[in-house]
Amino acid sequence: MSKINPDDIEVILATDCGSTTTKAILIEKIDGHYRQTYRGEAPTTVEEPAADVTVGVTNAVSEVAELAGRKLLDENDQILRPSNGKQGCDIYISTSSAGGGLQMLVAGVVREMTAASAKRAALGAGAIVMDTISSNDKRKPYEQIQRIRELRPDMILLSGGTDGGTVKHVVQLAELIAPAKPQPRFGDKYRMPIIYAGNIEAWEPVKETFDDDVELSQVENVRPQLDNENLGPARDEIHELFLEHVMAHAPGYDKLISWTDAPIMPTPGAVGNILQTIAERDGINAVGVDIGGATTDVFSVFDGVFNRTVSANLGMSYSISNVCAEATMLNILRWVHVDMQERELRNRVKNKMIRPTTIPQTLEALIFEQAVAREALRLAYIQHKEFATTLKGVQQQRTVGDLFTQDSGGQSIVNNMKLDLLVASGGVLSHAPRMHQTAAMLIDAFEPEGFTTLAKDSIFMMPHLGVLAQVHPQAALEVFERDCLIYLGTCVAIAGQPKPGRVAFRYKITGDLSDEGEMYAGELKLLSLSGDQRATVEIEPARGLDCGAGKGRPISREVRGGEVGLILDARGRELAVGGEKGADRQTVTQWVNSLHLYED
Amino acid sequence: MKQFPYFIYVLVCVLVFGLFAQSAKTVQAEKQPTQTDEQPVQSEGQAAQAKLVVKDHPFDGGDKLDISIELPQQVYQSLTAEKPGGTIMLMQSEEEGGLYRELAKYPPNDGSWKLNEKAHIVSIEVSGLNTKSEYFYRLYWKPHEGEKQIIAETSGPVRTKREWFLGDKWKLAGVGILICGSVIFFIEVAKRGWKLKVRRIAGLEAVDEAVGRATEMGRSVLFVPGIQDMNDIQTIAGLNILSHVAQTAAEYDAQVEVPTSRALVMTAARETLQGSFLTAGRPEAYNPDLAYYVTDEQFGYVAYVSGMMVREKPAACFYLGAFFAESLILAETGNSVGAIQVAGTAQPSQLPFFVAACDYTLIGEELFAASAYLSGSPEELGSLKGQDVGKLIVAVWLLGGCLIETLTVLSIL
Repeated sequence: MSKINPDDIEVILATDCGSTTTKAILIEKIDGHYRQTYRGEAPTTVEEPAADVTVGVTNAVSEVAELAGRKLLDENDQILRPSNGKQGCDIYISTSSAGGGLQMLVAGVVREMTAASAKRAALGAGAIVMDTISSNDKRKPYEQIQRIRELRPDMILLSGGTDGGTVKHVVQLAELIAPAKPQPRFGDKYRMPIIYAGNIEAWEPVKETFDDDVELSQVENVRPQLDNENLGPARDEIHELFLEHVMAHAPGYDKLISWTDAPIMPTPGAVGNILQTIAERDGINAVGVDIGGATTDVFSVFDGVFNRTVSANLGMSYSISNVCAEATMLNILRWVHVDMQERELRNRVKNKMIRPTTIPQTLEALIFEQAVAREALRLAYIQHKEFATTLKGVQQQRTVGDLFTQDSGGQSIVNNMKLDLLVASGGVLSHAPRMHQTAAMLIDAFEPEGFTTLAKDSIFMMPHLGVLAQVHPQAALEVFERDCLIYLGTCVAIAGQPKPGRVAFRYKITGDLSDEGEMYAGELKLLSLSGDQRATVEIEPARGLDCGAGKGRPISREVRGGEVGLILDARGRELAVGGEKGADRQTVTQWVNSLHLYED
Repeated sequence: MKQFPYFIYVLVCVLVFGLFAQSAKTVQAEKQPTQTDEQPVQSEGQAAQAKLVVKDHPFDGGDKLDISIELPQQVYQSLTAEKPGGTIMLMQSEEEGGLYRELAKYPPNDGSWKLNEKAHIVSIEVSGLNTKSEYFYRLYWKPHEGEKQIIAETSGPVRTKREWFLGDKWKLAGVGILICGSVIFFIEVAKRGWKLKVRRIAGLEAVDEAVGRATEMGRSVLFVPGIQDMNDIQTIAGLNILSHVAQTAAEYDAQVEVPTSRALVMTAARETLQGSFLTAGRPEAYNPDLAYYVTDEQFGYVAYVSGMMVREKPAACFYLGAFFAESLILAETGNSVGAIQVAGTAQPSQLPFFVAACDYTLIGEELFAASAYLSGSPEELGSLKGQDVGKLIVAVWLLGGCLIETLTVLSIL
């Protein structure tokens, strides 16, 4: 990989090798600013007959080259570098989630402590965690060994014990993994990489437990003390082993690795990377979601702490049945404002299971799909909130004033009131016919409180930018701001339960939009505010309701517009929809009409 | 599971209690006149113009008599005039024709005399009597000028009678019935599958966290069940929690250590540990030496435990039981060795020390509620809820009473 001065970079080519599609984008420096200019895609070619990922990459790059009128490949289908006029690019980068991405098994002593830290490290590196083995997971040793044998992870992360802490438990975990001899997915001669990120004093006995069948490496402890986490070294090692072992054994990846100017990253890891970069630069709290066919990824950065979760069984095609089972049909139907029977809903679910890649052809099918999406997102976000917590096992410092509160460790750090930016990506959100629908799905599922900017990833460009951020952060941030995100607008919502029939809050808007009025409990209002417009919104909540300044306290904030506009939400939090006390179909219809969701 | 609507129950209980108290009062008021219909224990004496009626006081412990005197009109008027023309004196003797001593006189009225103007009756309640004695009464009239004379006298001895129930405790009976009824009611409610909400007790939820910390750090879990013996309910409550702590430690394969200051507590702790290890499915990990006796001496015990904490640096310390002056010594030592500490005691004077030095503190009754909180069994949860509701009813009545009293004093009612 060549070292290039970032100032000399004019043209950047980036690809994302997904399970089914390889997407390529071209970023060019125009008038001193980096802009994403062209995009192309082609089927991924990891499987037979091609069995070479670079075939799909060259196809996608060819499409970009044709669209851009720029020669990017030479006669041998090699990417031309550096750029020279209308030829070549300066750097080429790539991410990959082909073949199911990076699949890992993690192990730690206590599920909520070192095992949770190991899981965070793996998820943050972009892996799918297949299972977590721990001393207190309520499984018998033979069950744990059986599980390890059943799984075929790409690598294992073994942690446990603080530095100077338990050795016995860590060795016990190693003794479960060693005889199980987990088999990797790729390659006959592939030795299972095991990363040891536990108690430094247990390293020697752990090393003695394993034989040459595994590729054992040691990094710093993910939890050197219970009071702090050290996930960086484990994440870096995962990325390195992902390239050295997993990618090197996948069809054509050795060639792809030699092409790229920066290490190939797992796609979710790259998405997390760009979100972290943005949150850090702007000093904001952000949540990103990528809802796919089989899984839903949720990323969050609150107070600088990054978390990612993968909800493996919440998706819009292959996992749609599971969404319906977990959420229940009644909960899905509560979002449907047209007359639809549960039987009809079941038929639609089964049809989607039979033909997972189909997209809605009728308005009813669209309404149904978006109702399912709301529930899938809601459930994924609940899982995320449960995972993104403060560290457990930390000694608390108390005063007598804490007598009646006594907060314990393991509290969720996800706080919707502190959320500044909510970014959506994934088919059902990105390709919704109207952006209003995307905004509505986000608000209904995530229930943002206070002032929250809503955006969507225009063409799922965040993975490319995540890798780019490691090479050229400025370019990544510029493209992210200008071309990646499509701002939908801002949602202003009150927390608490407003009293029916009473005023929930009064608002006064000045700036590019002038308006004032009252919002009654349960109301939803959409005001037009375009992307380049800004307005100052003053909110005076009713007693007991909070919009960010405390219960009943007025607040004023400048907001940005977007493709949808400014949404005022007086429905209260938690949203009560359906059931005996929740909003009925008539109310849901009013909300649909207020946001102009299904107008042609 | 449906949440039980507590407020409806409390409202009903308050109303029932109100009706009960009201009806008890009415019954008492109505019962008095009927006494005359009963076989009299009184004697009537007539001397001069007055009529003396002595009755046993209803619903008492056999130490009171009710005496009423129907006076002639002119005597009554003379007594109640602005300038009384004389006084009446009630005398009592414990043998017929014996020495009579003065019990009370009127005027002046010190508050013990009650007047009935229409019937010209004055009455008084005599207390401090016993059931084994016989009593004789005489009423003297002493004009300002002239000799005192007997105007009424009992014709025979009068005895008091001890009743089965005390009349002034009817309200307490009502409260007792309501609280017991609430306990039974809520046990039945819990058994029928209603969800009984119990407030989150952070200290008990932190048990897993504390034991987990000890496991990760490869250190022991220290459990101190207080310095009192098994006859102290706090020690029993502490041992109840020990069973949960020990079970968690057994599941995590962490070492738990229980030094005791009483031999009997050691035995009980051993039994508890054995049961917990068995429940956790690891009976082989149980070692009786995990619970051991140190000394009965308060500070000898504290010195040992503190020293052991400094040497072995346990990662989790539990102080659950009765504590006195040693509470802060233990908690500060635990804090200094970096342990997660969970404390609980019903000694109000020790709570501030625990709150300041420990991570989590079970305050007073939380210690006793722990068992129900951890087990979630309908009987224990129902009992806990029933007691809470009982307390709530009493609190509502206290507040109501204070409010009514205040309004009365301010002449608003």
